[in-house]
Amino acid sequence: MQNTAAVAASGKRMSAMKMKKLEGNVKLRIAQIGFLAVLLLLWEVGARMGWISTFLFASPGKICDTLSNRIASGELFHDIWVTGKETVLGFLFGSLLGSFLGLLLWCSEFVAKFSKPYVAAIGSIPVMVLSPLVIIWFGTGIASKVAIVTFSCIFVSLSSAYEGAMQVDPDLLNLMRSFGASKFQIFCKVVVPSSMTWVVSGFKMNIGFAIVGAIVGEYISSDAGIGHMILMGSNSFHIHVTLAGLVTTMVFVFVLNIAVGALEKVLLRWKR
Amino acid sequence: MDENVKLEAKGIYKEFDEENPITILRDVSFVAKKQEFVSFVGPSGCGKTTLFNIIAGLLEPTGGNIYIDSEQTTGTVSSQIGYVLQKDLLLPWRTIEENVILGLEVRGMKKSEAKDRATEYFKSYKLDGYQKKYPSELSGGMKQRVALMRTMIMEPEIILMDEAYKALDYPLKIDLESELLSTVKENKKTVIYITHDIEEAVTLSDRVYIMKARPGEIVREMEIDLGVDSTRMNERRASKKFNDYYETIWQSMGTSK
Repeated sequence: MQNTAAVAASGKRMSAMKMKKLEGNVKLRIAQIGFLAVLLLLWEVGARMGWISTFLFASPGKICDTLSNRIASGELFHDIWVTGKETVLGFLFGSLLGSFLGLLLWCSEFVAKFSKPYVAAIGSIPVMVLSPLVIIWFGTGIASKVAIVTFSCIFVSLSSAYEGAMQVDPDLLNLMRSFGASKFQIFCKVVVPSSMTWVVSGFKMNIGFAIVGAIVGEYISSDAGIGHMILMGSNSFHIHVTLAGLVTTMVFVFVLNIAVGALEKVLLRWKR
Repeated sequence: MDENVKLEAKGIYKEFDEENPITILRDVSFVAKKQEFVSFVGPSGCGKTTLFNIIAGLLEPTGGNIYIDSEQTTGTVSSQIGYVLQKDLLLPWRTIEENVILGLEVRGMKKSEAKDRATEYFKSYKLDGYQKKYPSELSGGMKQRVALMRTMIMEPEIILMDEAYKALDYPLKIDLESELLSTVKENKKTVIYITHDIEEAVTLSDRVYIMKARPGEIVREMEIDLGVDSTRMNERRASKKFNDYYETIWQSMGTSK
C-alpha cells in the first residue's frame, strides 16, 4: 500500500515538474513572438510616419502585400517549386553520395590517404567560383543548379561520414573479427550504423549549403526561383520584393530543418 | 603434448619497433588445461593486454606460438575462443536481443533461429524481459552480463577475459564473479583471466601466473587450491588458505619490481 502511494506521489511530482517546464516553454515562446511583433510594429509605424525610408527598407505591410499578391497569382509557389526542386535534389545527391563515399573510404586506408589532398583542394573551392563554369557545362536550366547544390553538399557529407567511420572503437572491430566477421560484415553491421550520428550532422550542415548553392546558381542565370525573385527585386530597386524573397527563404529553410529533424529521429531512434 | 592441455603458449615475444624497439613480452610460455581457470596477475605495463590480443589471435607475436588442442593457431582468430573486455562493447543501436545474437548473425545463422537459441540464455542469465530494451536502458552490471551472454551463446571452449568486472562496484563485482565461476564450471569451459587484482585472481583461479613489467615476463606460476567447493566469491574468500596465497603472490610481485 505504502509503495503504491509513494509511486503515485512521485508520479504526481513528475507531472507537476513537467507542467512547470511546459509553462516555462510557453512563456518563452510568447516572449519571442512578442519581441518580433514589437519590432515589426516599430518598422511599420516608422515607415508610415516617414522616419524610415520605404524606398530603401520597404515595410512589413508592403512585404505582406507582395507575398499575398504573388501567392494569389501562383508566382510565389512556382518560384518555391523551382528552388525547392534544385535544393532538395542537389541536397539528396550531394549528401547521400558524399556520405556513401566517405563511409567507403573506411574500407581502404590507401585510397583514403591518396584522395585526401584532392578532396581538400576541390572541397576548398568556393561555390561562387565554380558556378559560372557549371552553368556553361550544364546549361541554364535546373541541371546546372542541381549540380551546384550537389557540389556544395558533397564534401561536407564526405568528410563528416569519413570522420564518423574512423571514430569507431577499434575494440569493437576486434570483437567482430573475433566472431570471424568479414570486412563487408564489419562495414554493414558496425561501421555504417555507428557513423550515423556523423552522417546526420553532415545532413544538418548541408541544409544551409544547399540553399546557398541553389540561390547562387539562380543569381548567375535563371528565369524563376527564389534567387531569381530576390535578384529581380534588387535590380529594379523593389526592396519589398527582395525582402519577400528573404522571408520565403527563411520559411523554406525552416521547413527543411524540420524534415531533417524528422529524419534524425528515425535514423537515431535508439538515442533518447 | 599433454592430452589435458587446451591452450598452450610457447616462448611468446612481442616487440614494437617504432624508432627504438621495446620488448613488451619476453619469452612468455604457459598452459591452460581443459576446464581450468587460469589467471594472469601483474602490474600495469606488464603487457597483459598485448598477451590477451595475441592469445585471441588478433595480434601476431614477434616470436613464439599459440596452440589450441595441440594445433598451431598463432595470429589467427579461432572460433574456439570467445572474449569479454572491461568495456561491454554493446552496439547502442541494437536491442539487447540483437546484441546477444550479433556473433551468431555473423556466422550466418538466421535471425529467428538465433533468437530462439537466445531465449534460454536470457532465462539463465536472469535477463528475461529485457530482450527489446536498448543498452542505454540497462545498468552497468546488466550490460556486462549481456556481454558475457553474447560470448557464451557462441559456445566457445575457451573464454578470455580482460579485467571484465573492473568498472563495477564491489558487491556487484562479487555477484557477477560468482555467477561467472558457476557458469564456466557448469559448462566445462577453460578460462584465461587477466587482472591486476590479486584477490580476484586467488578467489577465481585454479592456477595463477604472476607477471612483472618492462618487459612483461612470467616470474612465477602457482597452483591454487582453496579447498572450497562453493562458487560463491565470499565463501571462497573465507578459506583459511586465502591469505597465504595472497601474501605469496604479493611477495612475488613485490620482489619482481
